[in-house]
Amino acid sequence: MQAIDSFGLTDKGNVRPSNQDNFLIVDIHRSVDIRHSSLSADALANRFGSADAHLFVVADGVGGGPGGDQASEGAIAALLKYVSETVGCFNRLESSKEHDLFERLEETVRDVDQSLREEHAGKRGPAPATTLTMVLLIWPRAYLVHVGDSRAYVRRRGRLQQMTRDQTIGEYMISMGAWTEEQAARARPAAALSSAIGGTELHPVVGLVDLEPGDSIMLCTDGLTKHVANDRIETLMEQPEDVQAVTRNLVSEALAAGGSDNVAVIVVTARK
Amino acid sequence: MIQKKICMVGVFGTGKTCLVQQFVHSIFSVKYLSTVGVKIDRKEVQVGDQTVTLMLWDLEGRDGTHDVSPSYIRGAHGLIYVVDGTRRETLDQLHEIREMVRGAVGEIPSVVAVNKIDLVEEWKLTDADEAAVQSRGLQHFRTSAKTGAGVEETFKWLAEATLGKAEA
Repeated sequence: MQAIDSFGLTDKGNVRPSNQDNFLIVDIHRSVDIRHSSLSADALANRFGSADAHLFVVADGVGGGPGGDQASEGAIAALLKYVSETVGCFNRLESSKEHDLFERLEETVRDVDQSLREEHAGKRGPAPATTLTMVLLIWPRAYLVHVGDSRAYVRRRGRLQQMTRDQTIGEYMISMGAWTEEQAARARPAAALSSAIGGTELHPVVGLVDLEPGDSIMLCTDGLTKHVANDRIETLMEQPEDVQAVTRNLVSEALAAGGSDNVAVIVVTARK
Repeated sequence: MIQKKICMVGVFGTGKTCLVQQFVHSIFSVKYLSTVGVKIDRKEVQVGDQTVTLMLWDLEGRDGTHDVSPSYIRGAHGLIYVVDGTRRETLDQLHEIREMVRGAVGEIPSVVAVNKIDLVEEWKLTDADEAAVQSRGLQHFRTSAKTGAGVEETFKWLAEATLGKAEA
């Protein structure tokens, strides 16, 4: 069984009065309870102790209103409920079951979106909303579901690659050729989300990547990436074996650079 | 419901992601972003009286550091090999990629999208090149992810082929 190290951290930052970012790290085990056996303790040792799957999620409550925290917390809780009920029994998914898994994960995201809207019905102002970036790791395959402008990165052989694309108005306008990068940097609505759970639009993106021993995954909210550029993140992840130190360093860097937003980071490394 | 796994394969930068975006969302992005791992989209198409859900696996492109991963291709029902008509080497590499893919999944319905036909002045392929593709038993379509030309036809042909209903 492949050993996986992971660590998560969140901080409210230097400016915001509360923290609306949330993260979750879960090891999912097959439930086996040996009541009685003629097998020796040695024969049974370590057979059922390793996790079958791992779930990693970051979510960033949107808007700064009181509902933002509930939105990010609710989205993570709903995903955890679905994943813990259905995924623990899988070791390696066949292609048709993979498609079912993706559809169910997407459905879960849409259900959370719907429930946020229903809870907010009749109330004033925009509904609470959240980003969500999730990786479900069933070794070696890492399944990704992404909504909003939190991010997932993969680091392999020293090279950091961004798996997700920010779902913001600015990114959309740039990709359509309507704005240049400079125009997007100046435009006020550029940072607004073009897709969020509970937002006016919802476009979940799904994908996967097969990991190798030594690879790392990093999930984060925009409280990190608005202050720390990708090349600096790559440098800070040069020693990914020490997941605690790397996570703390990433969060510290964001705070030292201003900490204008809440920040949440998860670092995951597959041991060599 | 019929569901078919379709893999987009080819060299990096040939327009695999753009073809999927054009087919599924009718949009074309001018910003190049390389795919990491696999991005998955889906779209329903009508083949006769049957509705087929195409699960589109957009694989990261082959480059100098890594090959097309067989693990992503296993279980595929159809393949779209994407070639960039403005970069001859992407056609030259097609046959190597095809051999690797055959080793992973055997012979399955496949089509070649010769992409970027909107870039007429930069076009590097001859009619003989495209005839050579045909002579290897591969159906091919000229496509433009930018204008949408040939895109619908390519995916539709492959959907029909996975059901054994395509015309050669």
